[in-house]
Amino acid sequence: MRSVLIVGAGQSGLQLALTLREHDYDVTVMSARTPDEIRGGRVMSTQCMFRDALQHERDHGLNLWESQTVKVEGLGLSIAGPDSSRALDWFCRLDDYAQSVDQRVKMAGWLELFEQRGGKLIIHGVTTADLDSLSSMYDLVVVAAGKGELVGLFDRDDARSPYSTPQRILSVVYAHGVERRPEHPEFAAVRFSIIPGVGELFMIPAYTLSGNCDILFFEGIPGGPLDCWDDRPEPQEHLNRTLELMRRYLPWEYERSRNAELTDSKATLTGSYPPVVRKPVGELPSGNIVLGMADVVVANDPITGQGSNNASKCAAVYLDRILQRGSEPFDRQWMHGTFETYWDYAQHVTQWTNAMLQPPPPHVMDILGAAQHNEAVARRFVNGFCDPSDFQHWFMDPEKAAAYLASVGADRANSG
Amino acid sequence: MSDENGAGQPKKMRSKRIRPYALTGGRTKPRYDLLVETLISVPHYDPSLSDSLMPESRKLYERARTRVSIAELSVLLGIPLGVVRVLVSDLAAQGAIYIHPTAHAYQHDRNVLERILDGLKRLPA
Repeated sequence: MRSVLIVGAGQSGLQLALTLREHDYDVTVMSARTPDEIRGGRVMSTQCMFRDALQHERDHGLNLWESQTVKVEGLGLSIAGPDSSRALDWFCRLDDYAQSVDQRVKMAGWLELFEQRGGKLIIHGVTTADLDSLSSMYDLVVVAAGKGELVGLFDRDDARSPYSTPQRILSVVYAHGVERRPEHPEFAAVRFSIIPGVGELFMIPAYTLSGNCDILFFEGIPGGPLDCWDDRPEPQEHLNRTLELMRRYLPWEYERSRNAELTDSKATLTGSYPPVVRKPVGELPSGNIVLGMADVVVANDPITGQGSNNASKCAAVYLDRILQRGSEPFDRQWMHGTFETYWDYAQHVTQWTNAMLQPPPPHVMDILGAAQHNEAVARRFVNGFCDPSDFQHWFMDPEKAAAYLASVGADRANSG
Repeated sequence: MSDENGAGQPKKMRSKRIRPYALTGGRTKPRYDLLVETLISVPHYDPSLSDSLMPESRKLYERARTRVSIAELSVLLGIPLGVVRVLVSDLAAQGAIYIHPTAHAYQHDRNVLERILDGLKRLPA
């Protein structure tokens, strides 16, 4: 039986750990926190997962919260005009619903499931010194802890990392009492609002410790009015400030949120980080090597909501590669090949996400505008969140965009 | 000396590739939250088990013949804390090491908590 050590208890690390247990691998997970500490801790993410990512969980019986979690049945886009009007405002149903389960619920539950399935859980915040000794005791060591000192083992890949500073300042609040948009009271949906030059707001229906809720997630351009969290406000003040910003910039979203209440006393989060792609193989002082996964090696800005989707897909790729390897050694060449298999997919997410951080170029505005009147365009855009590799064929390039819009009768001459 | 680890099989397993999971046959084990102050000791010392362990685990098993904390083990043996936690957890899962309850286990016992508090107050500042 091959032994695998996984450092980190997030979406990617635990999904890989649980799916390796199905194949009787001897799996040890090291988590900095116990399940109860995770449940009692701060919110960590927004984690809206689309069909392809959810399907990996269904395939392995990991979708423990699917029945009680609100279904995200569509995605809407608004662009704020200068006088708090809406320059654009449309909604489109997803082909298959998405869902967001608070990682405090999911990772705590998955850790317990992992132990029930015969996995070994060690509660310890791992240091490089720990890893240096531990790496010789396992056939494979995977680092899936996207925060903390271990990330330093993996060198930045300059060719794949256009940014060196944070592109957005992040603010998250989990709230009860947010109403649905009056245009579609029968559906829960992710609503994406752009405030040009200022930032974006995502409103994401989700399931948390106290049931279904909505996540109010601001992405602020650094130095702008949404970059206002340096004082680390207390949770209630954080919610008040969030609502005040919504009232000022996005009054139609404020209207349905005026009765919002914090889901709990740990329901807020702020932060920022530079988007980065790293080299996948980390070398320890002993010369032993470890493999990085998910946001350890590909950390995109959350503006496209792909962090947990990428984590899920990375775990699926790594599982396949480990199983295919049989009893051969997990050497450097295998590690590079494994990452590149994941990168074949993830590069499209990175390129699309990095593009979305910039002011939208004319061809993107043509697409988003056409989507207001043309169902085919809207549908292709919203379903791209499930598999962003499609965007290379039409969204990322002005000529391809023009050709596509013409092909569906949505070019500027027609949509007038 | 009685062998409490199941038909003596562990004694033959010297390869570091053989993880304790193999020894326990996949049964679900309780998790040990090994705090730095957690005390451990060897309940029934077994020299043949000691021989079968990999070097770090053997040093740790030998040292724990007298009661010792996780933090002390890390310092005394020069093994990083995380590694001590992994090795102790492995040994505990085999029943080779006993993990003494910490104050967490007494959180409803007012007398014990007051004694601990009293002891803390008497520590030099």
